[in-house]
Amino acid sequence: MSRKLIASLAIAGVGSLALTACAGGGGTKSTSAGTGPGGVTTLKLVVADYGTGPSNTSSKYWQSIITAFEAQNPKIKVNVTAINWNDFDNQVQTMIQNHQYPDITEGDYFANYAQEKLLYSADQVLSNPDNLLPVFKNQGSYDGVQYGMPWTTSSRTLFYNKKLFAEAGITTPPTTWAQVQTDATKIKATGNVGYGLPLGPEEAQAEALLWFLGNGGGYQNASGQYDINSTQNVQTLDFLKSFVASGVTEPNPASKNRTDLWQQFASGTIGMINGSPALIPIINSGGKLTSSDWASVQIPGKNGPLNTTLGVCDNVAAFNANGHQAAIKAFLDFAYQDKYQLQFDKEYDLLPATTSATQALSSDPIFGPFLKALPQSVQYPSTTSWANTKTQIQQTIGTALTGNPKSVLDQIQQTATKSQ
Amino acid sequence: MSTNVPRANPLRRFTPLLWVGPAAALIIGVVIWPVVVMATTSTLNISPDGFNLGSAGLGNYRELFQEIALPGVLMRTAVWVVGVVVVTMVVSLLLAQLFNQAFPGRRVARWALIAPWGASVMMTSLIFRWALNAQNGVVNVILHDLGLVNLGTDQADWLGRPVAAFVWMMAVAVFVSLPFSTYAILAGLQTMDSAVYEAARVDGASPWRIYRSITLPLLRPALIVATLINVINVFNSFPIIWEMTRGGPGYSTSTTTTFMFILKQSYIGESAALSVINFAIVVIVALVFLKVAKWKDQVD
Amino acid sequence: MSSIAEPLPAETLSGESLPPKRVRRPRAPITTRKLILSVIAYAVALVFVLPYVFMVLTAMRPASDISAPTLLPDHFDFSNFTSIWSTGFGSNLGASLIVAGGATVLVLLVAVPAAYYCARRRFRGRMLFLVMVLATQMFQPAAMLVGIQREFIQFNLPPLVSLILINGGFNMAFAIWILTAYFSSIPAELEEAAMVDGSSRLGALGRITLPLAMPGIMTALIFTFIAAWNEFIVALTLTLGQSSGNTPLTVAINNYIGQYSIDWGHLFAGSVIATVPVIILFAAIEGRVVGGLTAGSIK
Repeated sequence: MSRKLIASLAIAGVGSLALTACAGGGGTKSTSAGTGPGGVTTLKLVVADYGTGPSNTSSKYWQSIITAFEAQNPKIKVNVTAINWNDFDNQVQTMIQNHQYPDITEGDYFANYAQEKLLYSADQVLSNPDNLLPVFKNQGSYDGVQYGMPWTTSSRTLFYNKKLFAEAGITTPPTTWAQVQTDATKIKATGNVGYGLPLGPEEAQAEALLWFLGNGGGYQNASGQYDINSTQNVQTLDFLKSFVASGVTEPNPASKNRTDLWQQFASGTIGMINGSPALIPIINSGGKLTSSDWASVQIPGKNGPLNTTLGVCDNVAAFNANGHQAAIKAFLDFAYQDKYQLQFDKEYDLLPATTSATQALSSDPIFGPFLKALPQSVQYPSTTSWANTKTQIQQTIGTALTGNPKSVLDQIQQTATKSQ
Repeated sequence: MSTNVPRANPLRRFTPLLWVGPAAALIIGVVIWPVVVMATTSTLNISPDGFNLGSAGLGNYRELFQEIALPGVLMRTAVWVVGVVVVTMVVSLLLAQLFNQAFPGRRVARWALIAPWGASVMMTSLIFRWALNAQNGVVNVILHDLGLVNLGTDQADWLGRPVAAFVWMMAVAVFVSLPFSTYAILAGLQTMDSAVYEAARVDGASPWRIYRSITLPLLRPALIVATLINVINVFNSFPIIWEMTRGGPGYSTSTTTTFMFILKQSYIGESAALSVINFAIVVIVALVFLKVAKWKDQVD
Repeated sequence: MSSIAEPLPAETLSGESLPPKRVRRPRAPITTRKLILSVIAYAVALVFVLPYVFMVLTAMRPASDISAPTLLPDHFDFSNFTSIWSTGFGSNLGASLIVAGGATVLVLLVAVPAAYYCARRRFRGRMLFLVMVLATQMFQPAAMLVGIQREFIQFNLPPLVSLILINGGFNMAFAIWILTAYFSSIPAELEEAAMVDGSSRLGALGRITLPLAMPGIMTALIFTFIAAWNEFIVALTLTLGQSSGNTPLTVAINNYIGQYSIDWGHLFAGSVIATVPVIILFAAIEGRVVGGLTAGSIK
């Protein structure tokens, strides 16, 4: 009997394989990048990966800058790590929790780092901080000092499929919510999805904000206080609830992510979807829509097109833990040259983050419209509680479509104001 | 060391350490110590950036029990564990019986059974996520060809509806748990003595009777162990839910393990508190299970 | 608990001989019942491999056809399998081999002596040790995420070394159990006879006992290797701050899920490539694992 038990126990070990593709992790302290032999400083650069695949991974782009930079600065070495976008926040946060500080990050940045006094301010690590786009200054500031330096930006417009519009007998793109509803219904009748609404956990905070703005709402009120459960926002979600219930969107928007819906738009089966310039290469690689099959216009609001849009910027942050201020400054001055800004935007279909690079690109036929919207853009909040708030919006705002919008927004508001 | 004591003695006392020490050190360092760290973390106030802001007492536990999502998460975890384990064990018994028969090509067929174990659970989950895509997933394409489902409709959107998504994810969990359970039971079947069966057959017992009175009792040790290991694994399963739905919409497809991971992004202390509770649940369930299994022993 | 935690004392087994050989049943003629059985068994086997067949098929779809609602690609395209190597996938493969291989070696080095000693000797603390080993069978990294993460803050090791330690530690329990069972079932007299002939204890262990325990060792080896090979979340968090070339395969594959689009073709091509070493390892030692895993018998 007990011999059999031992035998079974032995095979039981297989069990530890059955479902354990998972384990928790910490991190090991990599040796602090101090000044190494021969007075060489090694900088640790951690960037988000904007690539769509192996061929255009961001580490390639950065490596080309680094190679040129190191040739000019033999005393400084830069090691770059590209992290998948979906893991970026989590990973950088884990690094900091583990006290393995990077020197420079490029991607999401949170005011917490500034609050914890982990960062150099922009004027400490840039020779010309005023060249950064002024509209994003506030978003990267904490206590009136700018720490988050915009690196790349994007703004949102409504993409629509001209083919499907023609098929449904629609001649002009919508400018109000009511028209969106009518047009989506007509497209739905042709057997396609009228409107793609990504309110799943990936990027719901962006889609939700675009709708809130259309009704004069948003995440913060005019004086910068969180106002997530405002009457306007509740109304907006009430509208979306009925909009979804009428069946003109894809099924179950609360579980749909932007990646999947953008791919579906590119395959020609969605009438309208909010997008950024990053959607353009996806449309092109989908091979179903030619450049004359789609267009993009200002996002419709409740009573007319939005005169603002969501402007998103990804920030560079410089950490002071390793004390490499001079080396960081040398590298950032080098990397912020217009040619590298433009190279990045061409590579990933994003917009520049410096005034000089923006001027160089303003007459571009494709990017021009997006750039025009940038100066009036609204940004995400920049308080220390935004990180947690964002996580909760992503996870829960979709549940308002089948639940009670007011109580969902109340919950989020509570999170936003709890740690302020 | 005093000189009048024979030298071999004190040294001999340390011999076991030479043989067993490294294993004990590794287990204590890598497996047991994190539990201690976890328990202390659950009583600390930790900022999202990992800074220790001092003691929180039981504050993290209070915060945790105030989470609106928690009761639903606990309920779903119970459904998840019981459902997946029961189905896995029943199907494994059938499969083991089937693959214990001699038939041409049995070896190849048994090899196929190992596939879900050779591939990582993360990959398997991603395959199913892809196969359940409402527009073009293989599952929906097949159902569509059979005339059961229209592509792109709510009906085809299995992972978009919380209940359907949860059922599918339980099916995937069963799928990846089957190889181990089936092999554990197969191993038990192989150790059986065919003479006993012959004797029973000579006595004219029906196959079902033989199965009930001879096979199942003999399989008990294998079943006990396989069930216990499955309970622990299924309870702690993370990649399936994470890769297929991220526990959403809301927390409507989360179990305690994924809920803990979502909390970890923002509230480290609270996440540690949930880990401690998770851990306590596993230990209690395992002890209770073993006790029940033993208790039955004495009754038999 | 103790009846499980207590491997059989060597003396009760000393009367028994080695694990009996597997007896091959004589081939019976094919009957209708057998035919039905085999058909059902093949159908079940098909269900188990089908998801992976579709994984391969998706990896072979051309990019333009990736989201077409069809069962088969319109033509087979192997470019995903060739272009993936230009992304440093080879070094990811290397990192996975280091982690899985290192963890396996570590487990065997540490578990074989411990299991042998527990099987042959009754020393103080033996029960405590065995209960501890059994208990860790219940521990899963998933449940201890926070603890592991915060513990490893204090260590200062290269990530791949930490991964070897963690994968080794969590797979140790199984290896010690199966090996203890195996060593217990090998009569001590065999070693004693060899020692009478002038071998040292270690010599007897190496020449007599280890070869006899080979099936158990192989089983421990393959289970540890596959567990470490497929491990994902520890790898994800421990390879922070590493250039993408130093991450294990599971992390590299997960990177095909991007911010704006998911590269399903490369994701599945990578997954297919990642399972090849597992298949090779399996084929190489399958026959030596516990009477052949596919015979499914543990004696």
